[in-house]
Amino acid sequence: MEDNGLGILISAISLSIFSYYTFWVIILPFVDEDHFIHKYFLPREFAILIPVLGGVALLSFLCLFIGVVILKSKYETS
Amino acid sequence: MKHVLKIMALLVAISAFWIGLLETSVVPRSYAWLLPIYLIVSLGCYGLLMVGIGLMLFPTCPQEAVLLQKDIAEAKEFLKNKGVDVGSD
Repeated sequence: MEDNGLGILISAISLSIFSYYTFWVIILPFVDEDHFIHKYFLPREFAILIPVLGGVALLSFLCLFIGVVILKSKYETS
Repeated sequence: MKHVLKIMALLVAISAFWIGLLETSVVPRSYAWLLPIYLIVSLGCYGLLMVGIGLMLFPTCPQEAVLLQKDIAEAKEFLKNKGVDVGSD
């Protein structure tokens, strides 16, 4: 894929994630409960759950990867 | 060792600030609870943004690419004349 297009795509994704999360955590508590915008946002408990789950998944993937690499190198030298 | 101490001092300062923010209700309580996670998510977003911007602004130097191809063709010719097997093309 073209480097330029990939860069634009990554920047767009990161900006949208940032604005959605900022809106969710900071602006939404000030909006009345009857407003229609609440339909587009999950309940606020998910604002903690999703990053924590993502972080746990990332950490476990890293540990798995490092463990596999270490085991592989030990298996090849033995 | 000193670098680790610096990082730990920074972490202690940030958690002291956060606990102070919790205790003396300057901001509403729910905001103070969510602040660390929000900062971590925004830090990750910032990293992604820097990666994207770097990819966007990466220079490709088309003239250098043409010159390089010419150099490669020259080298292949030279080596072929000397009898070296230059492989597929």
